[in-house]
Amino acid sequence: MAAAEKLLEFQFPAKSDHLCILREKLREVLGTCSSSEELRNCIVLAVGEACMNIIEHAYCNNDQGDIILEVEKQGENMIFRLTDFAHRKSCEEEMIGRPLEEIRPGGLGCHIINEIMDEVQLIDCKTKCGNVLQMKKKLDS
Amino acid sequence: MKSNLRSEINYDVLNLSGEIDLHHSPKLREEILGSLKGKKSLLINMEDVSYIDSSGIASLVEGFQAAKENKLSYGLLSISGPALQVLTLTRLDKVFTLYNSIDQFQSQLQT
Repeated sequence: MAAAEKLLEFQFPAKSDHLCILREKLREVLGTCSSSEELRNCIVLAVGEACMNIIEHAYCNNDQGDIILEVEKQGENMIFRLTDFAHRKSCEEEMIGRPLEEIRPGGLGCHIINEIMDEVQLIDCKTKCGNVLQMKKKLDS
Repeated sequence: MKSNLRSEINYDVLNLSGEIDLHHSPKLREEILGSLKGKKSLLINMEDVSYIDSSGIASLVEGFQAAKENKLSYGLLSISGPALQVLTLTRLDKVFTLYNSIDQFQSQLQT
């Protein structure tokens, strides 16, 4: 297995007005890794959705706490790891999208993440607080 | 996100531009539902939307439902590539009526 090369580590407050800064950082990194604009847009969207889930569901919109985004390149794969420090532990079931036949607002974020990424998993971080979500995407696939 | 609402006799056009995320979607929701409260049909111009996430899409869906309840026409105009990507991923491209021109929307209002 190829060694992982860390491309980005970015810590930011879990607030909605910081999502644009996150996207900017991510686009910079992705610009050096993939020639496909469509793929880059999709990855930015999926990571943004995952951050939004953390803000809304892990931190429950209370604006307290940070998120760390780590981006690594491992061979042909990009790995995106999001760490939060929320008291609430997320569970795998929450990462399953709802049926798309239901036309109603909300609940599409997990579907988008699962559609775009090749692998999505919550890693047991073994500490009392916090969650680590890891997403993997093969480049130019 | 920047937005601008233009009123015509029997419909409104909401012009959107820039990025729409969790930070902007409450404002978008307010603008869409506010316009529909006036009982006029609504066309949302998405030509210059460079990014939209599921919270923005949720605002569009709420508008779609409100328009349906009030028997008003509701559509998306000149949808940008990144916005279409999200609608396709969520299969909402088959739910919303997408228009290529205002004329197309106007002629549908008359039928």
